[in-house]
Amino acid sequence: MGNEKEGLSTAEVLRKTRTYGQVRCHNPSCMGRLQPERGANKVKCPVCGSEFRVAWVKDGFPRIRGPVWEVNQRLAEEALAKKMKEEKKDGPK
Amino acid sequence: MALNRKIAYIDLSTGKIEIKPIPINVRKKFLGGRGLDAYLLYNHTKKGCDPLGPENTIMVSGGVLTATLASATARTHVMAKSPLGGLLGSANMGGFFAPELAWAGFHHLVIKGKAEKPVYLWIHNGKIEIRDARHLWGKTTTETQWAIREELGDEDIKSLVIGPAGENLVRFANVMTGIKNSGGRTGMGAVMGSKNLKAIAARGTMDIKIAHPKEALEYNKHFIEQITSAKVNQTQGTLGTPFIWGATNSWGGVRCRNFQYNQELYCDDIEPEAIDEVCAETMGPYHMAGCFGCQVHCRAKYKIPTGPYAGAYDEGPEYTSQGAFCGEPDCRSIETLLTGNHLVDQWGMDNLETGSIISWAMELYELGILTDKETDGLELRFSNDEALLEMVKRICFREGWLGNVLAEGGVIASEKIGKNSFDYLIQVKGVSNLHSDERATPALALNVATASRGSDHLRSRPAIDLYHLPEGVLRKIYSNPVPYEGLLSSEHTEYVGKPWQVFWQENCYMAVDCLGICKYHTVFLGATLPNFEDWPKVLYYNTGLEFTPRELWDVAERCNMIERLFNLREGLKREDLKKGDMLNHRYFDEPTRRGAPDVVGRVIDREKFKKMIDEFYEYKGLDKDGIPKPETLKRLGLESEPSHLV
Repeated sequence: MGNEKEGLSTAEVLRKTRTYGQVRCHNPSCMGRLQPERGANKVKCPVCGSEFRVAWVKDGFPRIRGPVWEVNQRLAEEALAKKMKEEKKDGPK
Repeated sequence: MALNRKIAYIDLSTGKIEIKPIPINVRKKFLGGRGLDAYLLYNHTKKGCDPLGPENTIMVSGGVLTATLASATARTHVMAKSPLGGLLGSANMGGFFAPELAWAGFHHLVIKGKAEKPVYLWIHNGKIEIRDARHLWGKTTTETQWAIREELGDEDIKSLVIGPAGENLVRFANVMTGIKNSGGRTGMGAVMGSKNLKAIAARGTMDIKIAHPKEALEYNKHFIEQITSAKVNQTQGTLGTPFIWGATNSWGGVRCRNFQYNQELYCDDIEPEAIDEVCAETMGPYHMAGCFGCQVHCRAKYKIPTGPYAGAYDEGPEYTSQGAFCGEPDCRSIETLLTGNHLVDQWGMDNLETGSIISWAMELYELGILTDKETDGLELRFSNDEALLEMVKRICFREGWLGNVLAEGGVIASEKIGKNSFDYLIQVKGVSNLHSDERATPALALNVATASRGSDHLRSRPAIDLYHLPEGVLRKIYSNPVPYEGLLSSEHTEYVGKPWQVFWQENCYMAVDCLGICKYHTVFLGATLPNFEDWPKVLYYNTGLEFTPRELWDVAERCNMIERLFNLREGLKREDLKKGDMLNHRYFDEPTRRGAPDVVGRVIDREKFKKMIDEFYEYKGLDKDGIPKPETLKRLGLESEPSHLV
């Protein structure tokens, strides 16, 4: 019943899982949590090497503004070349 | 109380107006808003009717919670048979119109026929008048709203209007309210235009009695705190929705150069922070506004800083305008972005469809399928900002051969252009895809393929699938209120578990559309936002209606099935490229070429995609062809449709 006092809903329970001060690496196979230094305008993923430009929604609240183009484009080109090579060898994935 | 708001049947051919209550048994089955509109469409529109003919019926509504103490109940919904895809037409917008309509005594309008001359409806405190609108014809969306206010002597009137695009029957014309609140997608503005209906104006002072006001206020305070403390909503309240496009472009999930690339490179000048700077420079530090009853405030205000429209005021731009005027045509100028956004707002045209169709034409031009003969000498190449804005104008006013052809929408245009132009058209059910590229995200690909109003992100997209949430978190969300014990995967490049997520989101979005709440208040962009367990409380405190989470889910499932029944009646077939649950071949055949290392080189696997559709159909209770099984219709209480209860 909607009017009954109940326990916490899923949304309320999950609220405690929110993280602040961190961003996730935008590379899907990585998605590591990155914690930019306060006020920094760049962050590098220590796992996959992707680099991102960082903006601050407010103090202590970073977000990824976009990739460091030349770095991530190079990583993308390398990954694509590798995949194409594998595909030639093994057929389409 | 909210439940005593009425439904009005308006025949523009005869001028007859009937006002009736909405029976409680109908409320319990379909609630209101989009769900009840779907029922009304199925019952009040004849099979095979011409979408731009007088026999098409257009529904306008608010949700069952509209104008109550609940948060963000601003949404206005419009539904009819679509002139763009020939199937379900549906558009949903924020702003202030639906609450005003509710205060004027109405939750639903059912409008059919065609007026002899341009008219508008004036709805105030239980009364409806049909008034002459010949003097309004030709005006922009903003001019029309102010002209009505002046004529009726009340600055608080809220209007739902069409601009020149709707008058010119552009098949993707919008219905608009306010500066930028757009009932975009599927051409509802063209349906209004075909009826000579320029506007619907509303003003009301009829109180809405709240069933349990003390509890409603108390719970709403808690509800708002849950919503505004979410990171996604704090970001929206600072940067608006452009942050969505920016983040998606960052990893390679947007369309660029029609569908040739999945990322726009070096576009720093049109990123959210760059837009925010222009808003701050032209409107001052407090430049974010909100819709009725919402605390998120995701709508930026700006003036165009430079160029031929310098100084013009507008709102947004939304992430869809970034896709339409930047990513897809590969333009990187903030002036082009803000100007394009302004033109479609003023003329009442769907930004998504406009940007998509022009980008498609640009690819055809670069391939030589379109030539200078068809473009009247316009060099319609990618990254040509001037050509992009010129084509927006030509489409709206149907100027030149190509402007007139593109105004018909992609499917009809491809038949007129011929050759293999259709192969390059990125659409589902005749509706152009969003500016996103789903080749690396199977769940999102399934969503656009199966969405009821054609390719769309607001019908069933599990956007949180992109967040790499732990399986335990996914299970907590997606196993409620209906148990789910199948597989779920945190990987958004995976196929397993995605059909259930899409099915769950389809019901989630339908539920909020029936309630009249904004999707930024639910599990769309944030995993910790309210869903089925939270809304029954809001519903009960405000209206007195008692629903369990499961009962609310059942309403949503029923309403989605009514939409399916309508589409099947109008010719939907599973693998039909123009009217089916099917994607363009490029999803399966052309690998992505940009983005994060794990995104490049991706296509959708054809066999796995078919299996996802099979599984999705199973959850919905459809057979292999996508047709509801008799037991499904019985379970949902739809075995006797159309039942003509209202």
